[in-house]
Order: sequence, then C-alpha cells, then structure tokens
Amino acid sequence: MSRATASGRPGAPGKARGGGEAQRVMVVSSPDAGAEESGQLAALVTGYCPTVESVRLGVCAFAARGPARYFGGEEALGSRIVEAAAAAGLGCRVGVADGLFAALLAAGPADGADPVTVVPAGGTPRFLAHQPVSVLEDTDLAGLLRRLGIRTLGDFAALPADAVASRFGEAGEAAYRLARGEQPRPLAVSAPPDDLAVSAGFDPPQPLAEPVVFAAKALAEQLHAGLAARGVSCVRIDVQVSWADGHHSSRLWRHDGLLTAVQVADRVRWQLDAATPGDADGAAGGGITLLRLVPDQLVRAAGQQLALWGEAVVPGKVARAAMRVQALLGQDAVLRPVRSGGRSMCDQIHLSPFGADPEPRLPAGRPWPGRIPGPAPAVVYPEPRPARVTDLAGEPVTVSGRCTVSGAPAELAVDGGPPLAVTGWAGPWPLAERWWDPSAAVREARFQLVTADGRAWLAAVRDGAWQVEAGYC
Amino acid sequence: MMRPGGTPTAVMSGEHSLPVLPGLRELLPGGELARGTVVTVPDFGLLPLALAAGASAAGAWCGLAGVEEAGVLAAADLGLCHDRTLLCPQLGSRWPQVVSSLADGCEIVIVRPPAMLPAQLRHRMEAALRRAGGVLLVAGEWPGAHLELRVTRREWSGLGAGHGRLRACRAQVLVSGRGAAGRIRDGWLWLPAEDGSISPAEPPLQTVRDLPQRELSAHPHLHVAGAG
Repeated sequence: MSRATASGRPGAPGKARGGGEAQRVMVVSSPDAGAEESGQLAALVTGYCPTVESVRLGVCAFAARGPARYFGGEEALGSRIVEAAAAAGLGCRVGVADGLFAALLAAGPADGADPVTVVPAGGTPRFLAHQPVSVLEDTDLAGLLRRLGIRTLGDFAALPADAVASRFGEAGEAAYRLARGEQPRPLAVSAPPDDLAVSAGFDPPQPLAEPVVFAAKALAEQLHAGLAARGVSCVRIDVQVSWADGHHSSRLWRHDGLLTAVQVADRVRWQLDAATPGDADGAAGGGITLLRLVPDQLVRAAGQQLALWGEAVVPGKVARAAMRVQALLGQDAVLRPVRSGGRSMCDQIHLSPFGADPEPRLPAGRPWPGRIPGPAPAVVYPEPRPARVTDLAGEPVTVSGRCTVSGAPAELAVDGGPPLAVTGWAGPWPLAERWWDPSAAVREARFQLVTADGRAWLAAVRDGAWQVEAGYC
Repeated sequence: MMRPGGTPTAVMSGEHSLPVLPGLRELLPGGELARGTVVTVPDFGLLPLALAAGASAAGAWCGLAGVEEAGVLAAADLGLCHDRTLLCPQLGSRWPQVVSSLADGCEIVIVRPPAMLPAQLRHRMEAALRRAGGVLLVAGEWPGAHLELRVTRREWSGLGAGHGRLRACRAQVLVSGRGAAGRIRDGWLWLPAEDGSISPAEPPLQTVRDLPQRELSAHPHLHVAGAG
C-alpha cells in the first residue's frame, strides 16, 4: 500500500533524487572563536580543501571525501588540521560523519580527549540514535517530543514517516530526516539562475566598513525577495568582497533560508573584520569597491509562515523611512516596542531595533503579581529622577523595613524643582524582585502621589532615597 | 457631525483625514484630524498619544520622535498599536531630517522638537507633510499650527490620604485653531477613564479653583461652548 503511494507520486523527493544519500562532511569547530579567529580558521582549513563553508562564527565545514583520500584518510586529515590549528594558537575539534548535522554533533564537546571524532561511513544513524532530542535546533519540537516520551533521536527516527509528517508538519519532517541521518531537505534540482545574485559597487571605493554593512542589509533584502519570488531559499550564501587594490574575499555562510537581512549584514561585518585584521574598516586595501551576495544550493522554500500574532508586516514606505533614519543616526536609533512581562513600567515594554526580530525579554501574558494596577503612566522616565518628599513638619518621609511610613507626604520636589503640595497619596507597595541575583535585584516601596497642579506621579523609595519613576499627565 | 448618508464620520482612514478615538470627535473640527496639518500640545503626555491612537488603531503607522520617556504601555492601552509604532527617542542635531523621513513613512508623527525651527525650514516641513498626507503632532511650540490642544484643568480620582489608587482623570481640554477651525471649543474628557480609554466626561460639580483667569477673559464665549 505504502509502496503504491510512493510510486504514484512522480515528484516525490526520495533517495534517488539526491535528497537522501548524505555525503561525508568534515566539521572543524572552535566554539570560542571571534570574527578574527574564525577568519584565521577558515583560511587554515582552506589549505586542505578549497571550498569551505562557514556554518557560523568559529565553525566551518567541507566535503571530506576528496581531501581525505589525498591526505591518507579522514582520521589523518582531522589530526593534521587540529595540529595546524594548535600551531596557529587556535583550539579546535573535528568531526566527520555522513551529512552536516551529524558531523556538527561529532565535532561538539565530547568527554573523550581525542579532538577528532570520526563516525564511520554508514554508521551515522547508529551514532545519531544515541543523541538526546535536545540536540535538535527546534527547541519547541524537542520539548514536545520529550513530553511525548521520545527521548533520543533513535526513538524519533523509529516513528513511521507519514505519521511524523501529519503530526509535526514541515519542521518536524525536516527534523525527522536529520534524525535518520538524511539531508534535512531535498536539494532543488534546478541550477541556480544567475540573476539571483545581487551586488553593489562603491565608486569611489568605500573606506569605512559601516556603509558597506548597511548596503549589505538592503542587498540581502533584495536577494531574499528574488529567492522568494521563485519559491526557493538558499542553503548557503556566498559573500564576495573586492578591494580597490585588487584582492578579494569570498566566504560561504550557512543560511538555510532562516537568516534575516540584518543577520546577513552581520555576517558581512564579520567577514570584513576578519579580512582586514586590526583594521575593522576597509581602508587597508584602498577601500571596498564591490560587495556581491550569491545564493548557493537552492532548495524549495518550505515556507516561513509569518507569525499569526505579534509581528505585523512592515510596508515598504515605512521600512524605507526607518532605514533612512537608521542611516542618519545608527541601527539602534529606530526602535519597535514589544509587550513584555515584568512588574515595573520599564520592564513591561521591550524595545528592539527596527529590522531585528522583536522578542519579549520576559514572557508577557502571564500574571505578574505586584504590578501597579490602573491606568498606565503616559511618561515613564528611562532613568528615575531623584526627588525629595517631606511631611508636614518638613522632615523627609522614610519607609522602614517593615513598610511603615514615617509621616504623610506633604510636599514633593522633583529633580531639585520647586516643591509641589501633595493632595493625595497611597502606598507603600513593596516590591522585591530577583533577590537571588545581586546585580539585578530590586527592593523598593512604591507610592502614587497627586500634586496640587493636577499631576500624578509614581514614586518609589529605594535604598532610603526617593525617586520618581513615572508621571501620569 | 453626520454625513448626508447618516453614517458617523471618521470610521476609516479617509482620503483627507485620519480618524480619532470616538471620545475625541466632539472636540475636533470635523471630528477628525485633517491630513497635512500640524497639531500642537504644550507638553508631551497622554493627550498627544490619545490623538494618535484612533488613526493607529485604524491601521496607520505612528512615529514617536524625540520623547525618551514616552509611556508605550499607556499608548497601547489607548489603542495605539505597537506593531505599527516606530520609536526614535534620540533625535540628535539633524532632527528636522529625521522627522521628515519619519513623516514620509508614517501617517502620524509625534515629535517633541529639541529647538524651535527657523520659519523657512518649518514651511518646508509643512509642505512635505502636505505632500505625504500625514499629521504632525508637536509637543511644544509650532507657530502657525492648524490646531492647538491644551489641558487646562485636571482632576485625578481614586487616591485618598494614604489609601486607594489612581483610577481615572477628568481633564478639561481647550481646542483652538486657525482658519476654518478657528472656533474655540472645550470639553471635559476622561483622560484616561478607569479602563485606560478616553471618553467624554461630565464637568465636575464644584468649581475648580485653579482656572487660569486669562483664558476666560480672552475667550468670553468659553462658557457657552463648554455646555456642549
């Protein structure tokens, strides 16, 4: 029955279409490396294999078959690379397996002292079977699997494929293929059309890195739009930079259709940092003349669905306006608010730069006992303003450790301003947050005050001093 | 104000105007914010956020520039959609360019200018605003603004001497304008009401003592308008 369905779908991706048979991949990993070390590592590995892909900072991978045959086996090649890296002052681990996923795991931290881990050809499913499901990048899926009692990739791989597809969707299917030691997605069979590559020329040559990175963001957006229009996404992206004195830098970065334009721009920045060590700007080579982004290994796009809640689609003219302001004032000058959890007024809104993924710092939508109820203040000072609160006798009002107030507040002076008569007040409402972390701990007693000019204030006593945190006006 | 068809105005973003919250319609000429105009309030507070909230809830993008201490939470409670809000807290010295750029993308821009603009630059910005069809809400001074709103009196309720909590604020808002919007209006609003929204309020029963005398002498018909 299942055979009939499989053969009945002529377009179905299967092993024969190149999707299943994973090739031998060697991963060289130096997890603590910065942009510069990572550039050195990539250059060093390029000495053993000319086409090296940077998976992320400090991790690069290449197809192991050819180089291993030349250098006398995978084990020998791995040891050579580790030795060469150690000679250059870089610590690294090497993993070899069928497919990138397993090779990355093999190169991960292990208890064995041997920095080279070789998973023999064909042994990858067995190697993966012992791994816990938490190694899957999709933490939601991993959590779900654990709750269902599926603890290792072996358990997951033992499930029937059609059941996985119908229960866990596209993301689950991709993880399932990984767990079985197959490629996460079948490769697209069509050759990459040339016009998908995008480039920007700089005339006169651009001596500063920042404008190039900025241009990279716009280029990446153009590239993503071009890919999306064809319904494909790329596994890797080739970042090519040319300088006025004729030297080039070209590196492959892992993309998997997941990077945002800002993240692509980050990779361009890393590459520029690494290409001109000690001189982050491109002045060394007489300035940058060309930046080119080339998509590599196209696969059909699985469809990144926009969030149902939360992020709204940004129309083009708003994005242009925001990017123009960012060009004037910097990336962090334009912010988008995200509702977040927390008790203080500052915690309840998280600001993230335009273009980055807005992500609340603390989970919103949960009860946060201790929040001030009632209308929110229209003015929330980023830094609380120092204040002075006195009682009728002119003495400063204090709050004891047991939350008793020394006297009714009668006057409030904000930031050294003239004293305002207090016509109504309530409090103290104690707040003790994160006492387990001395650097983030908050212990204060909060008050609401109304002054004779009709304004209302949210004030607090912290470490014996009054401060105004917000104003209702 | 009703259109011939009998439907209330200002429900959707119109071609010539932006909708406001229902609670503010009575106060504004035409019950809407005319596109391409400048509206001022003396200080940043809940009022400019409330003015922008209606348009934002109807789908407009809102820019908020030069106000570091803007209470985004209060804005969200009013109905200002934070998914369609751009904040630019620090303006720097090239702020006219920043505000113009924001006005190109957003239908409503709230700005607290760090300094008074020279008349020439101001006129240029007004012309750009008319082209883009947005509304500039200035928290500060802007000579020649089309509409000026100011809170003249404010009364918080809910707070006693050592007990209770802030619940709602009744505020008197005075609206003056130039040209066709010249008639001075005023009205009492819950700014905000207990649920954080904006709604018309009854004037308080007792006379509030701190009424500024000059406002009364300058506009003798204030009492008549206040009844409506």
